[in-house]
Amino acid sequence: MIQTASVSALLQVALPNAARPAVVAVGILYFAVVLGISVWAARRTRTARDFFVAGKGIGLVALTVASVSVSVSGFAFIGGPGFIYAVGLGAMYIVLPAAVTNVMGAWVLAKRMRLLGEARSLITIPDAIGARYRSRAAQGLSAVAILVGIVGYMATNALAMGVVINSIFGVGLGWGIWIGMGVTLAYSASGGILAGIYNDVFQGTLMAVASVLVFLFVLNFGGGLGEISRTILAHDPTLLGPWGKLTPLAALSFFFVFSMGSLGQPQAVHKYYMLRDPLQLKWYPLLKTLGLVLVLLLYFSVGVGVKAFVLNGRLAPLASPDQATPALLLNVTPIILAALVFSGVAAATMSAANSFINIGAAAVTHDLPVAFGRRVKNELRWGRAVTVLIAIAAAITAQRSGTMVAFLGIFGWGLFASTLVPALAVGLNWQGATRAGAMASIATGLIVTLALETAAYWKVFTFPAGVTASAVAMVSSFLVFFIVSWLTRRTAPMQIDPDVRLVMEL
Amino acid sequence: MTEPPVSVPPASEDITRHAALVALFIGIAAIAAGYAIAFSAGGTPAWAAWLLALGIPVALAAIMILGAARGRRGIGPLKLPFAFVALVLVIGFGAALALPATEGPLSTLWLGLPARAAIVIYGVGLLPILVLPIAYALTFETQTLSAEDVERVRALAREYQAALENGAPEPMDNDRRG
Repeated sequence: MIQTASVSALLQVALPNAARPAVVAVGILYFAVVLGISVWAARRTRTARDFFVAGKGIGLVALTVASVSVSVSGFAFIGGPGFIYAVGLGAMYIVLPAAVTNVMGAWVLAKRMRLLGEARSLITIPDAIGARYRSRAAQGLSAVAILVGIVGYMATNALAMGVVINSIFGVGLGWGIWIGMGVTLAYSASGGILAGIYNDVFQGTLMAVASVLVFLFVLNFGGGLGEISRTILAHDPTLLGPWGKLTPLAALSFFFVFSMGSLGQPQAVHKYYMLRDPLQLKWYPLLKTLGLVLVLLLYFSVGVGVKAFVLNGRLAPLASPDQATPALLLNVTPIILAALVFSGVAAATMSAANSFINIGAAAVTHDLPVAFGRRVKNELRWGRAVTVLIAIAAAITAQRSGTMVAFLGIFGWGLFASTLVPALAVGLNWQGATRAGAMASIATGLIVTLALETAAYWKVFTFPAGVTASAVAMVSSFLVFFIVSWLTRRTAPMQIDPDVRLVMEL
Repeated sequence: MTEPPVSVPPASEDITRHAALVALFIGIAAIAAGYAIAFSAGGTPAWAAWLLALGIPVALAAIMILGAARGRRGIGPLKLPFAFVALVLVIGFGAALALPATEGPLSTLWLGLPARAAIVIYGVGLLPILVLPIAYALTFETQTLSAEDVERVRALAREYQAALENGAPEPMDNDRRG
């Protein structure tokens, strides 16, 4: 969730210099643990299957914590609380879908993806689309869509890492980018997704601990949620209205894009392949939802808490809303808590970057060759090589910085949602979906998202209040999927292999 | 040479999935209509948000039913949790839209929040957590996946692998048009 918004969170905000001894010490300790896990994982990575899906050997708890970790970016710690500070409870519609998305993903995708992995030894999302529609073209097209989304995500995550590391160590943005990307690359290239998963477990745990501690601190410091609300209601009651300062249409749009769109996020969906025993899926949605709730406590509590503290004069007015978390941490909380949260933000960006590097490498070395009827002979070696290339390209792009990098990252979530949700999530559950419908839908999502985001970025036109390119693209992609599948429905029966049909019927 | 199992036409889609697909289409169409209306010249009418407030719960419940439906058994005991969550979302969004804005310093607080906000945060944001993941776990073996299901897939996978080892073309190789 919320990866996209890490852009606004960490690129538009100049984080204050937090380089205090305790923060630096916790930061160094954090990086040491990450490197230790990476060395351990590298020794266990021997095949492409190990590298891309951890040999289908991850246990329930590890997979759950890792999945929580990649679902949350730095936005949950920096931009999200700032967004609540600025617009009030309307900003909650980005995270409220977490109440349904995990179990929805479990019913719609988890079982079928995991069983497809069992039946066909699939390792990527485009693999599943290719198998479902018996189509290399659909597999290739979905791989292209994923790569386009990853280009933006990687550059923005690299830049976000630079911002956070510079804030912790005071090394400058350029060095921050290369240090962050270097460490992420070290574990991505050596230990692949196995290193990523176990680093995610560590990073997710760190995020949850930091979030819960900050939540408890804010409630205690503010005299409870009731007191915090009373302060805000006395000054600006709109903030605690059900939409905050957003229009209802805007808030509901957030809910739609972040709920339905969650079914197309490759960094989360890809994890379904990795569970050691498919029957362990039973407790996966409950554990993941609880984990997400813990990590998101900071989002809500800092947003409303800092607003109240500024309004009652306990904190100085903020230079910008995105300063809400840093201002609280550096002025009010114990420094060790600040250190934990800053390391948590670094963890969030690195965990997201690792996932996207791995998925991008799989698209280049596995999906695109398959789309052209070829197989790369040594996928492990090439996977590592492409991992290095993607990381370096992302770091170089991030160093160019500027608004173009931010623009690249803005459409990531929406692009994944509009290109993958109908073809993958509906397609795996509807035998009447056709190859033509899937390809038309993926192409529609890709074209509409890029065209609308570009037009909006260059101010060719302005969307009405509450309408977003992501939402329009996803709705268009759905409608095209249904209409084209219906028009080509005669071809549907012959486009499903018996093993895939069994997986769809179970 | 052994051929991999060939495709066969599907049995007619069961009623539950068919209904879920229709509902999903209607939900998405309602959301699309809400956005389309927002582009109208006179500005966004207030009822455009109602189309999303109804369309989103319908679409989310429909896609969950589509995923959970199991052949002719449909969704069995999951009817209640799905209906509950769809209702919670409709009532939550509807109450936020319909109730008057009375938030102020003297507002009664529900668990620390004014009424309309509490309905959304605790209703939409927390109530589904108490129901859906528990319903998923409790019905997992009967409704989602059993050891026998996994064994059926593994058996077919072994059959497939044997066919490939005997020289059968890879699945996508016998359909080069796509």
